[in-house]
This record gives sequence, structure tokens and C-alpha cells, in this order.
Amino acid sequence: MAANPSQATRAEAPSTGRPSTLAQYRTLLAKDLRQEFRTREMLTSMGIYALLVLVVFGAALAQSARGFDILQVSGGLIWALIVFTSLLGLNRSFSHEKEEGSLEGILLVPLDRSVIFLSKATSNLLFLAVVEIITLPLFYFFFLTGETPSSTFWMTVGPLAVGTIGITGIGTLLATITMNTRGKDVLLAVLFIPLTYPLLYACTAATTVAVLGGDIGGAYVPALALAAGYDVVMLLVSWLLYDYVVSA
Amino acid sequence: MEIKGLTKAFGVRKALSDVGFILPEGAFLSIFGPNGAGKTTLLRVLSTLLRPSAGTARILGCDLKTQPDDIRGQIGLISHRSMLYPDLTAEENLGFAARLYGVPQPQERVAELLATVELTARRHDPVRTFSRGMTQRLSIARALIHNPRLVFLDEPYSGLDPHAVEILDTLIASIRDGRSFVMVSHDLQKGFELSSHILMLAKGKQVLFDEKTALDFADFTTRYREVVGMGVA
Repeated sequence: MAANPSQATRAEAPSTGRPSTLAQYRTLLAKDLRQEFRTREMLTSMGIYALLVLVVFGAALAQSARGFDILQVSGGLIWALIVFTSLLGLNRSFSHEKEEGSLEGILLVPLDRSVIFLSKATSNLLFLAVVEIITLPLFYFFFLTGETPSSTFWMTVGPLAVGTIGITGIGTLLATITMNTRGKDVLLAVLFIPLTYPLLYACTAATTVAVLGGDIGGAYVPALALAAGYDVVMLLVSWLLYDYVVSA
Repeated sequence: MEIKGLTKAFGVRKALSDVGFILPEGAFLSIFGPNGAGKTTLLRVLSTLLRPSAGTARILGCDLKTQPDDIRGQIGLISHRSMLYPDLTAEENLGFAARLYGVPQPQERVAELLATVELTARRHDPVRTFSRGMTQRLSIARALIHNPRLVFLDEPYSGLDPHAVEILDTLIASIRDGRSFVMVSHDLQKGFELSSHILMLAKGKQVLFDEKTALDFADFTTRYREVVGMGVA
């Protein structure tokens, strides 16, 4: 080959006008979505894993005694399903960036590091939301069809939304910290579960109240408010720390 | 490029210690040294991927510590890792980089660079289907997408077959016009041929910095063997 020494390769003033943060965010997010659309790696692995967790739940609950009220524990089961599935997805969320050193390619661009965090957290949120949209109706179908949830069942949407946002936000920060470590799968879980415990506790409480139809004002709202407050604080901390974490 | 007392420590271990030199614009600096000498660490510090622990550096008129984004907009890095996304096509990879840098008329720029690296015919193919040489050519196009004034090369010949080396030589020659280069290499002959300046490191310390005209290749290799052989490295 004789490479063409064209004007394209002659150095002049760098041919850039720095794009807006929003434009860079969109570019990074579109890349993640395009990649997932092409490979379906995260959605497939998270979806299959979620189904397997449902099968395990089925086996575990099959021997439950008569009179056992599954509605009492359904909030906890839903969140166990979401946490296990999200851990798998978060562990894979930087696999494309690692494969050929692409994250360094992004870090060489003049851009606010927190934009990388925001775009990755958004793509993780979208992927987890898609898996939830598919698997939670299956959860209902397998475990709750013979039951009579309360009229406030629709309010489970609140903790599901707040919890999913928190899980993907904090999880994205932790996945960045652990991506280059040995035994990253275990390390992510070891960091993730204690750190998100208050969020999981609050979301499980709010979900259970919504399913059982308990005291909305006295239990659901405070739990949801705690989860939302936790989200705000932790997402802000993640946003602020991301530059340090990704450049360390 | 003006470097003074540049030091990078990882915990108590100093990967770079008190490195300093002045490199004129348009120069081609080749960095040599045995494994663990600190070559790649120096390159990563100069390309803003690592923060220095001490020392100062002005690159293209910008301070490394306080103006890293101003430097990033003017540099490109070609590594033995392609920094490409294997599941995206050649065109998508370059388009992604062009939009991140805010290159005006990104589609035209991508088409220009694909033609330069002779990959236009494969522009719609995923990078995963490319040979090592083709991937390296595309990674060069990615590094040049924003027309950088300074190009860092981190062992760019690593893993290439002789034909791909020839292609890369031609390509580097074609992009030298008006640019400065800093290259890390284990290949003494290739690095010496391309360079205008030589930097030798051992155990993170600078043992030689000079213009190539001050050295001939025999002297240089003798010096290199002394550095490696005397147990410094």
C-alpha cells in the first residue's frame, strides 16, 4: 500500500470546535446503544440470568407450607431479582471499553469526565429497565396470578423507578473502580451490596407496602423519600468522584 | 515540549524519576529503554492519561497539570491497542471519535481518512473482521481524526508482520508533515531511523537525551547495551 499523503493528513490547527457537553453525552450514549443493538450481549445475558433466578425462586417456594402468603415476601423477591441481574449487567458494562483500550481513547478527548459517567449510567439504566419490563410481568405470572394484590399494586412503579436509577448510578461508579481489578465480579458485589443497602431496604419496604396495600402515607411515602434522597446524594457523589476514579 | 523534573510514583515505587528535556516543534522523539524503564508511563503522563506526581510539563504551550483539556484537543495517541470498538464498523468508529472531538463536517473527514488509510472499501465492515494491520491503520486514522499537532506512538509496530510494518512506515512518513511525534519503541533500528531526538530511560531515570545528529547508530546501540547490561535496568 502507498498511503495517500493528502491534505487529510497534514497537520494544521486542530480541526475541532469543542462540542457541547450534551452533544458529547449523546454521542457516548448512542455508541453504547448501537453496540448493544448489534451484539445484544447485556440484554441477553441479563435476561437469561433473570429467568434463571425466577426458576430458582420457583424451586425455593414450591415446598412452602400451605397458607404461606407470597405477597408478604414478593417485594423482597423482586429486589433480589433486580440486584442479582443488575450485578451481572454492571460487570459487563465496561467490557467493550476494556477490550481494545477504548476507554483511553475517550479519556484522550477534551471532555468532562462526568459525561462518561452519565452516559454509561444512562445506558445501564435503559438496559436494566428493559430487562425489568420483560421479567417483572413474568414474576407476576409465575408467583402472583393466584393471589390478590391490593389496589395500590400499581404504586410499585415508584420504588422500581427510584431503585433502578440508584442501582445503575452507584453501580456504574463501582464498575469503573473495579473494572481493572483481579476478581472484579466478586469485588463489585462486595462493594455494591453494602453501599446500596439503605436504598434496597427502602425500596423493598415501599414495594411491599404497595403490594400489600399498607399505610401509604406512613410507610410507603417515607420509604420512597428515603430512597429518592439516597439517590440524589449518591448520584451527586458519584458525579463528583468520577473524574478522580476514571483518571486514577 | 518542555519537561522539568517529571516524576510519577505508584505508591512508594517511582516509575519515573526526574525526567526533563526540551523538544522543538516538528521533532520526532524516540524513547528507548528495557522493560520497566518507564517509557510507557512517560508517554501516558505526557498524553494526560496519568497525572504526574511531581515536576512540570508544557506541551504545545499548555501546562500539563492545569490545562489538560487544551492539550487533549491537540494530541493523538496510536497504541498497540487499537482503542476501537470491534463490533462497530470502521466508519462508525471514526464517526464516533469525530463527533466526540467536535470535528466540523465529520462525515467528510471520516471519508477522507478512510481513503488515506485505504479502508474505504471496508468502511461498512465491523472492525472485528479486520486483520491486525488493517486495525492498526484504522487506529491511526482515529488518532488523526481531529488533526492533532502532536502524535504519541506507543510501540505501534508491536505484533505487525513485515508487510504491515512497511505499510505503517509509509503511513507515518505521510503524516509527518507539520507534526511532532513521540514514539516508544523496543526496535532500536526503526526508532533510531525515524527519530530526530533520542531519549533513553532505565529504571525510570533519564540516562540519555540528545539530537540524533550527535550520535551514530553504532554508538547508540553500544550505549544502549551498556545501560541494559550494567544492571541499571
